[in-house]
Amino acid sequence: MDAHTTTASVAAALRPPRWLLPALAVAIGYYLGARLGMAFTLHPHPISTLWPPNALLLAALLLTPRRDWWWLLLAALPAHIAAELQSGVPTVMVLGWYASNCSEALIGASLLRAFVRGVPRLDSLRDTGILLLTAALAAPVFSSFIDAALVRLIGWGTSDYWDLVNTRLFSNALAGLMVVPLILAWAAWLAAGAGRMRGARYAEAAVLFSGLLAVCLHAFAMPHNDAHTAPAVFYAPLPFLLWAAVRFGPIGVASALPAMAVATIWGTVHGLGPFTTETPQDTAREMQLFLIAASVPLLLLAVALAERARIERESRSQLTHLSRVAMLGELSGGIAHELNQPLTAILSNAQAAQHFLANKPGERAILSEILQDIILADKRAGDVIDRLRAMFKRGETRTEALDANRLVRDVMSLAHGDMTTRGIEVIPRLAASLPEISGDRIQLQQVILNLIVNAADAMSMCAPNDRLLTVHTLATKGRVHINVVDRGPGFTVAPDILFEAFYTTKPQGLGLGLSISKSIVSAHGGRLRAITRKGGGAAFLITLPALPRRP
Amino acid sequence: MSFAQANVTVVDDDVLVLRSLDRLLQSAGFQVEIFSSPHDFLEKRGANPSGCIVMDLSMPGLSGLELQQALFSTRDARPVVFISGQGSVPASVQAMKAGAIDFLTKPVDEAKLIGAVRVALDKDRAAREHRADQAAITARLSSLTPREREVLIGVVAGKLNKQIAAELGTAEKTIKVHRARMMRKMGVDSVAELVRLWTLTQPPQA
Repeated sequence: MDAHTTTASVAAALRPPRWLLPALAVAIGYYLGARLGMAFTLHPHPISTLWPPNALLLAALLLTPRRDWWWLLLAALPAHIAAELQSGVPTVMVLGWYASNCSEALIGASLLRAFVRGVPRLDSLRDTGILLLTAALAAPVFSSFIDAALVRLIGWGTSDYWDLVNTRLFSNALAGLMVVPLILAWAAWLAAGAGRMRGARYAEAAVLFSGLLAVCLHAFAMPHNDAHTAPAVFYAPLPFLLWAAVRFGPIGVASALPAMAVATIWGTVHGLGPFTTETPQDTAREMQLFLIAASVPLLLLAVALAERARIERESRSQLTHLSRVAMLGELSGGIAHELNQPLTAILSNAQAAQHFLANKPGERAILSEILQDIILADKRAGDVIDRLRAMFKRGETRTEALDANRLVRDVMSLAHGDMTTRGIEVIPRLAASLPEISGDRIQLQQVILNLIVNAADAMSMCAPNDRLLTVHTLATKGRVHINVVDRGPGFTVAPDILFEAFYTTKPQGLGLGLSISKSIVSAHGGRLRAITRKGGGAAFLITLPALPRRP
Repeated sequence: MSFAQANVTVVDDDVLVLRSLDRLLQSAGFQVEIFSSPHDFLEKRGANPSGCIVMDLSMPGLSGLELQQALFSTRDARPVVFISGQGSVPASVQAMKAGAIDFLTKPVDEAKLIGAVRVALDKDRAAREHRADQAAITARLSSLTPREREVLIGVVAGKLNKQIAAELGTAEKTIKVHRARMMRKMGVDSVAELVRLWTLTQPPQA
């Protein structure tokens, strides 16, 4: 065994098993959740108004493959015992509650898995609907029966069976509503690479959450002396929740709702706020119903908005892809030419080499030159195919740091054949040094290619010497510009009309190219404008935000 | 090889293709001269060039057809062999109409290219010889006096000395003297020979 394999096997042996981190997270989360649940108890009755551990366990199960579930359930046991034993409950009852808590998580997760493949998505109404029905309804209902039965069986306390079912049901349903979407939303955000937000977004989120907390504390955690509460008080958090739904989507609402719940429960537990009745049970019930009634529609609203945005995004990406493929179809003659050139060079070089070998076998220098050129030509053909394949691919939008000059050069070589056959000379005027831009390489290439092809179309009637197309790149403060300038006849209509969908001047045109180009540039936080130049011809100006220069 | 001194000029904007054609034609024994831009070629070609031109149909700046026109208008009569990435029918028809020798598609077939170049060089040589003959005849024609020229036109038209004398208003004897001098200056012994030379100088009739 050599050193490498030894190191590798040692590393493999030392690498923690896949379930270890989730299990640890579950243990810690479960313990903290249980302590929080206990703090949310309305004294003198030991009734928790919000019991997070079960929902937390359920969410953890949803995020893990089924074969690892046992590890998570096992990890919850020490946490459960550690939390419960502090409250002086008999060991049998502690274990019984562990069993019923696990049953809730298992019922919820198994039911959900039966209807939804993989982790439920919070940008799908169907997934979220099933999530609410299983995690916030079915699981608490069924496990409450088990739980109440166990309590009666062990003989802990004096409560009536149906009271126990009731109490537990609401507390766990509320927890399911608050905790499961929260964890799933943040897990999805992390899985998507924890998308970077701009500073302004962070500020907005901070304002939203502090506003929400302030309103909730004021409405639900201030001393309430009046027997009568103005109904408007209950609507006070609504603007903030709507704000979260519209501006931050499911993750915003899934985070805002628990914040509101914690503030409300804290107030109620301390005898503050509008939820005050004769008995702690009724107080808890009223508050829980209020929170549930507020949560479900807002969560569904955010999900519906997110779903619509997702569908729009998907269809836009399909349309973008289709128009890209259509454009490549138009270019196919030029691309064939582009591949034919290196093939010609390879063939003629090889045949020349045969002649040289037959007639002047001593000349090694020329043969080596020939081979060098064959390699160059072959690589060039390979590059053409690579670029083409990338353009044809229909992929997710991928954001990366890009060099505008490189984008222009790639597009120029892709269009080279087409431009040559049309007798158009493309002149690059590229800035020596540009800050990077952030975006999807293929989509931005599509935009530049579209502009170059349009410019070429516009110049088809020009005299040979005038068929010049210039592509400029330059940087101004915080911006990168890519300008495509032609010497065609310019526009006969207002430039804005060019960008409208289905407007076209070409006999075979769909009229989608420019409108898609504009939406791509807008999605990159930039602008695409068209101007008629004074000296004749048109210019299309792309402006994109620059990334900060690397130190 | 008879083409050892023949000059083939290759014009293609793609340097890799240009070099490969250069090598292929050189390996077949031709003298090759290469240009990577049509404008460069137009500027740098020598006066009274000989040989033939192999050129790409589609080049930036000036297309092959436009270059062919430019050559035509500058009386550069070298035969042209076109090579093209895609054989567009209208372009090839136009090229052939304008007198191209052949229209080959890329990747170029070696035998076809060399064959076309040989045809082109043959044609160039024949045209060159033809022009040399014409020049010689024109020189002889210009050495004639106006009267001798009038006699020549009469003879070529198949007229008898008597008829010519009558038309020119002079004696038949005088015509005979002019005619003999004219035949000597033109370097011919028979009327048939004279007629052949005369027709060579005339523009072909449609």
